[in-house]
Amino acid sequence: MSKVIDAKGLACPEPVILTKKALEQKEDVTVIVDDEIAAGNIKRLGAKLGLAVSIEKKEGGISHIHISGAAEAEKQPVVEKDTDALPYESYNAASLVVAISSDRMGRGNDELGYVLIRSFVHTLLTLNPLPDTIIFYNTGVKLAGRDSEVIDDLKQLEEAGTSILVCGTCTNYFGISDALGAGCISNMYDIANTMAGAGRLITP
Amino acid sequence: MTKAETYDVILFASVSYALRAEKILKDVGISFKLIPVPRHISSDCGVCLRFSPAYRKQIEEALSGKVDISEIRSL
Repeated sequence: MSKVIDAKGLACPEPVILTKKALEQKEDVTVIVDDEIAAGNIKRLGAKLGLAVSIEKKEGGISHIHISGAAEAEKQPVVEKDTDALPYESYNAASLVVAISSDRMGRGNDELGYVLIRSFVHTLLTLNPLPDTIIFYNTGVKLAGRDSEVIDDLKQLEEAGTSILVCGTCTNYFGISDALGAGCISNMYDIANTMAGAGRLITP
Repeated sequence: MTKAETYDVILFASVSYALRAEKILKDVGISFKLIPVPRHISSDCGVCLRFSPAYRKQIEEALSGKVDISEIRSL
């Protein structure tokens, strides 16, 4: 049985959330999207969960993404959740989330802070395992801009499976919503939930 | 994701030299990247500038007489 999700026209990360919910039902899922970033994110989600993913490119930039959730489901061990200890649906004790609230690291000297934050972002690539999610907000969102000096690092992290959430309110405030070089525009709902669900949350 | 490219790095005795070099190279328009000094290299200052070896001569000329360089070496 395959479930079809029509996610055309939905803003990132909505298609990913819908896909995740559908996969939790342990069935095969076909997601239809008209956005390349969303297609990439969904593909990564499947890969992260260890599921088989195939993409059919259709006309007009539309992609059909098939994820075999049913066949693989039996292989996956069922993790029993201690519901009292896990207040958040998204809680994962092993997860590492990095929240970057500024394009400077530390307070005191901005010039030095800008050296440190670039160094920090570059060093995230050497962590093993890599962070599950990096969240950017306030002036931190500038680091995810197309012209950012750490954009190559962020792209590499994304390719390696790290999801990057960028505060939409913040990119809107700075007028850079259309100039994102990595990650996807997110909202406070996802940001708060991701932080609450983090096993470890680090803020440089 | 691993890039097959090779890089050289410039090491400095202090962060302020690295910053001065960064400004000069930005003005000249040479592409480089500020990164933490790799673990296997020791340096007093924790950051260095990484660049493609193709720019080595240009970089040396741009910084010559303006910034003290401790060392340029390949990664």
